[in-house]
Amino acid sequence: MAAGFKTAEPLEYHRSFLKENCRPDGRELGEFRTTTLNIGSISTADGSSLVKIGNTTVICGIKGELASPPADAPNKGYIVPNVDLPPLCSSRFRPGPPGEQAQAASQFVADVIESSGVIQREDLCIEKGKLCWVLYCDIMCLDYDGNLLDACLIALLAALKHVWLPEVTISKDTDLAEVNTDKKQHLSIAKHPISSSFAVFDDSIVIVDPTAEEESLSTAMMTVVTDEEDRLCTLHKPGGTSLSGEKLQDCISRAVTRNREVSKLINTVMHSVKPQNSIQQLPLLGTLARSSCVLTRVWEAVEREMVEHSKPQGSSARDLFDKL
Amino acid sequence: MPVDTKRVRGPDESQSPLIFLPKSAQKVVPKEGREDGRQRGQTDVRPVFARCGLVSQAKGSAYIEAGNTKLMCSVYGPREIERKDETDMKSGRLFCDFRFAPFSCQKRGAWIQGSEEKDFSLALLESLRPGVCLHKYPRSQIEVNVMVLENDGSVLAHAVTCASLALADAGIEMYDLVLGCSLRQDGATYLIDPTFPEESGSCVADNAENQGSVTVALLPSLNQVSGLQSDGEMGEETLVDAVRACIEGCHKLYPVVQQALIKSVRRKAPPPEN
Amino acid sequence: MSPMKLCVPGERLCSTEDCIPGTGTYLRHGYIFASLAGYVLRKNEGEELPMISVVRETEAQLLPDVGAIVTCKVTSINPRFAKVHILYVGSTPLKDRFRGTIRKEDVRATEKDKVETYKSFRPGDIVLAKVISLGDVQSNYLLTTAENELGVVVAHSEAGVQMVPISWCEMQCPRTHAKEFRKVARVQPEYLQA
Repeated sequence: MAAGFKTAEPLEYHRSFLKENCRPDGRELGEFRTTTLNIGSISTADGSSLVKIGNTTVICGIKGELASPPADAPNKGYIVPNVDLPPLCSSRFRPGPPGEQAQAASQFVADVIESSGVIQREDLCIEKGKLCWVLYCDIMCLDYDGNLLDACLIALLAALKHVWLPEVTISKDTDLAEVNTDKKQHLSIAKHPISSSFAVFDDSIVIVDPTAEEESLSTAMMTVVTDEEDRLCTLHKPGGTSLSGEKLQDCISRAVTRNREVSKLINTVMHSVKPQNSIQQLPLLGTLARSSCVLTRVWEAVEREMVEHSKPQGSSARDLFDKL
Repeated sequence: MPVDTKRVRGPDESQSPLIFLPKSAQKVVPKEGREDGRQRGQTDVRPVFARCGLVSQAKGSAYIEAGNTKLMCSVYGPREIERKDETDMKSGRLFCDFRFAPFSCQKRGAWIQGSEEKDFSLALLESLRPGVCLHKYPRSQIEVNVMVLENDGSVLAHAVTCASLALADAGIEMYDLVLGCSLRQDGATYLIDPTFPEESGSCVADNAENQGSVTVALLPSLNQVSGLQSDGEMGEETLVDAVRACIEGCHKLYPVVQQALIKSVRRKAPPPEN
Repeated sequence: MSPMKLCVPGERLCSTEDCIPGTGTYLRHGYIFASLAGYVLRKNEGEELPMISVVRETEAQLLPDVGAIVTCKVTSINPRFAKVHILYVGSTPLKDRFRGTIRKEDVRATEKDKVETYKSFRPGDIVLAKVISLGDVQSNYLLTTAENELGVVVAHSEAGVQMVPISWCEMQCPRTHAKEFRKVARVQPEYLQA
């Protein structure tokens, strides 16, 4: 009847685990789920990434377009992040315009981009007052099992690092843009904001990386974003029960260690993707896992143990999906 | 123009850099053979990678990759019907939602479902419905959600295959799987399972006769066609031949799809004790 | 033992002269076809022909059917009926919630006119019930608890403690010893431990 208990009294069921300092999926309170990252699998996007945190899957595709710069800031470009929660990813979302949660997530990502300065918007300007880049960063959830924000930020950052834009100049004769696809350039990423999300149970127990079920049962949610210099960028705690300053401090220091691990993950994957001049066609199996990397992590361990499998270039989608 | 307040908005107007490409850099579909090495006039479909059961939250799901076309489908239900109206409560209802991810096409798509997506949703629904035993699910609805992650042609055909895989993975009773195959007729010859440039490219052959495209949905073991979409202009004989070629293409997919499904059944559970 | 045969929907399994169709199959033109992806199972049940069926890891999605015993959670009550969410059909959990209604006259078998719904159920109670009708366009599944084995199996007192049944119509809170009225089910003891 364990399963019956779970469906009938989910909160009691979770409490009985938390009492023993563990969680129904076998994790400790401070343990993240396995995080997998995959860069550059969508060739129609200028930059793309696929992130899995446990079951939660998020894909980010960035497309660059040309526009005239905003009137109030002629030397800047645009970054337009949007998070979509399509009905595909969970039965809780309906088709139609974005719901509250998707809107809040989009705004959160936009705020993090703005406040952390991940990209200098001046870099996106091609010619002052005339032409600039618009980066449409579309983040789409494919499987919703909690901790959306962490997955979104990793996906965004990895996709931004992968963005590969053609050189654009304005022709002196015709005053029109000229695009040279032979010369492509990466963006310069100034900051690495990475988030860690927490859920609060019964005002006192803090768990990290909550699943969808844990999220719905918890009394408060919190997301801490830090950059690579261990500075706090954003702290997002939308209501819920209060939390002591001490606990908050714990959360921040955990977010700092999480940042290091994820940065390392992104770098490892980026490194394996780098030689991308020729996008090779893989026979039979897809490109979705051209390279991927796994990171497992217990944040309370003194020694940061990392399990990484770095896949050589050309590994197939089978590798990614076999793990599921 | 109404303002979309539910999304982060960009500038009012922006253009894809592709339209500024110099003429010389634009790709031309070759007249002989095909860019990816396949032959014209032969039913060599692109190799397909199919996998079931990726979306943990869904009752059933599937992912399909054919060349660079990548799409994903999840199935929810049967669950309590939401809209109760005067329709027959004795049989279940099927709902299909077809979407392109904004980054999936050459040109960035809009967030709001366009008319093409709505047409595809309907075509998908009509192709799938004959395959599903809806009478087994009274008072319930079954939802099929398809998301195209990358569009490199023949999306509707692969969406049909992917959705039927996801339905079977969800344990929804079906009369048969439903497989899809597309074809682009180009004068006297045809291109099966066309890529995006082949599909959208202007007429390649010199004479403008017999230009069009066909998508067929097939119930493979019953050998019945459940969906047929055709546009363009084709002679009667050409069309018949095109449909025949598509059916042949569907049969080529069948073993791959069968294997993917059997693999997912095995992964879910060991064989039951007799 | 040879590995079990697997099939996908639409596969022709055998002729009706060889087997009787079981679950996960359908009949067409004198042949039995699979309607599910799963393992093909042949069972001899003392009849002339073996029964052929297709089975998957869980029972093929069950929908509450007339006569099925369901486990549900009470969501709201009013003087005429109690509204519930159906969580289980038999021992199979439902992935999606279906709503059901227990009308006042279906709470117990005797003295139907004296039933008071709020003395029978409270929101949050876990109840065993039987499906009597799939309902029509307006209504949900109609359920009944008018049997000794049906009724409340798990309930919490006002103090938030799980109560112990003391009679067929009362339960007691182990902490405050306050008694509350319920339509209590007489169930197997192992069920109460959960």
